[in-house]
Amino acid sequence: MAEIRCDRETTREINAAIKKLVAEGETEIVVRNPGARHNLAVAITEPVHITFDGSVGYYCAGMIDGPTVEVMGSVGWGAGESMMNGTLLVHGAAGNGVGASIRGGTVVVENNAAARAGVSMKGGLVLIGGDCGYMAGFMAQKGTLIVCGDAGESFADSMYEAVCYVGGRIAELGNDAVIQELTQADIDFLTSALTRYLGAKIRNPQLETKRFKKVVAGRKLWNFDKHEWKTWREAL
Amino acid sequence: MCGIVGFLDKTNDERTPIGRTILAMLSALHTRGPDSTGVALYRPGHEDELMLRIKLGETASSHALEKQISELVKTRASLLEASTTGRYMRLVLEANPDAGRIDRFIESVAEGVEVVSMGHALEIVKEVGSPDDLDATYAVSGYLGTHGIGHARLATESAVDLSHSQPFWVHGHPDVAIAHNGHITNYHKLRRSYEQRGVKFYTENDSEVIGVYLGQRLSEGLTLEEALTASVSDLDGSFSYLVATADAIGFARDRFAFKPLLFVETDAFVAVATEEIAIRSACEATYQVREAQAKEVRVWQKSAATGKPLARSMLQ
Repeated sequence: MAEIRCDRETTREINAAIKKLVAEGETEIVVRNPGARHNLAVAITEPVHITFDGSVGYYCAGMIDGPTVEVMGSVGWGAGESMMNGTLLVHGAAGNGVGASIRGGTVVVENNAAARAGVSMKGGLVLIGGDCGYMAGFMAQKGTLIVCGDAGESFADSMYEAVCYVGGRIAELGNDAVIQELTQADIDFLTSALTRYLGAKIRNPQLETKRFKKVVAGRKLWNFDKHEWKTWREAL
Repeated sequence: MCGIVGFLDKTNDERTPIGRTILAMLSALHTRGPDSTGVALYRPGHEDELMLRIKLGETASSHALEKQISELVKTRASLLEASTTGRYMRLVLEANPDAGRIDRFIESVAEGVEVVSMGHALEIVKEVGSPDDLDATYAVSGYLGTHGIGHARLATESAVDLSHSQPFWVHGHPDVAIAHNGHITNYHKLRRSYEQRGVKFYTENDSEVIGVYLGQRLSEGLTLEEALTASVSDLDGSFSYLVATADAIGFARDRFAFKPLLFVETDAFVAVATEEIAIRSACEATYQVREAQAKEVRVWQKSAATGKPLARSMLQ
């Protein structure tokens, strides 16, 4: 295990130190005292495990392909944005746009997420242990968004083939979002995801997952139909 | 961009190094707002006194002007203290019913004279430049008090000068100040309607209208929390803003969560900032910060004063 201290170092120096260790073949890196700096561990493409022992700022672990990035504190805006593959584990809370536009991999936030979680996802899994804010899942094309707590307004607005699950209350469904009945396959998937990523925090995953609501696109916005002008006008 | 910060000591310790904390938070956000820096700081208020910060003009001050202002003030209230530092004249007067709108009276002295803050507990200093520049002139880091808000400005539309810097004091409402990050898109409409009712605007900065709006709402009898909640639907555009009064700080966020705002509340303090890096670099403790949700409004009241009054702090 290698350790990087960042008491006075700039973001650039910290990222250079991470990249250098990764290039040397290090597989376990711990970054001490990140102090909520922005743009840390961006575009790492090796299967390395990087741990930040505090909070990080904006765009942490963006565009990664393969590594596991673990944040012991909270993350700012756009954490894990556009990642291809890998895992981002956030033990605290997340700012706006967590897991936005990801193509694969997994983003786990143990506490609450602010607005626009998982917008425009094109694959992968975004799992929020707490509540999520306004407009989560907006225009998501593929992939899965799980919110264990309550979801904010305009939830799952204008989606394509993504699937959302909400354990709590949904303040308001977005345009063209519809609630579908859970199948046994959904329950099995949720149970395994919750057990795997939230583990001890969920007392009885089997029981818990049965109360989840499944939200998918109603497909009314997929093709233009002039008879649905009103829906379109609202959506645009 | 712009960065806003706020801090409230929950133990009601009048000796909290509030100036240093607010400056440290602003320094962490200096890349968001390199144009100007401002702080609104609060110490326990004294009902029998009014503190004023007067901008003497955009250019250098003149002794003649200072004298003129002092003489004018003396015709309305007893002048307890008068000093001048940097671009500001600082006055302390005995509060009396006539002193209510003394700000207007002072501003009539000369073009460019502006009362930047007035209150029993509040002092504002703001200037073009960095937090370090502000500290060098006004000794902000030595200020002890209970709470405060601050602003690091990146100007987008209006002028870069002292008047257009933030926080803004709400004229006519002693001790009420705001700091805003964002853009109020119905500014012109709101401004017109207020001007038709005789409200004076001091700048071309859209953020100023937030203070005017809150002032009007408070005058109508709304509580601070009610006024903030109403603002979320009455103001248009992107905004995360902070408000402070003699005994509270609060925030409101627009309905789309356009502009960042994070906060933390522990047993000891409340800290609010545009980015977590500001809170982490000023407050050492174990805590979890969270981002406010869209439309979220919060107000924290200072606990009732305890202990005996201590030597009062002031800015230079």
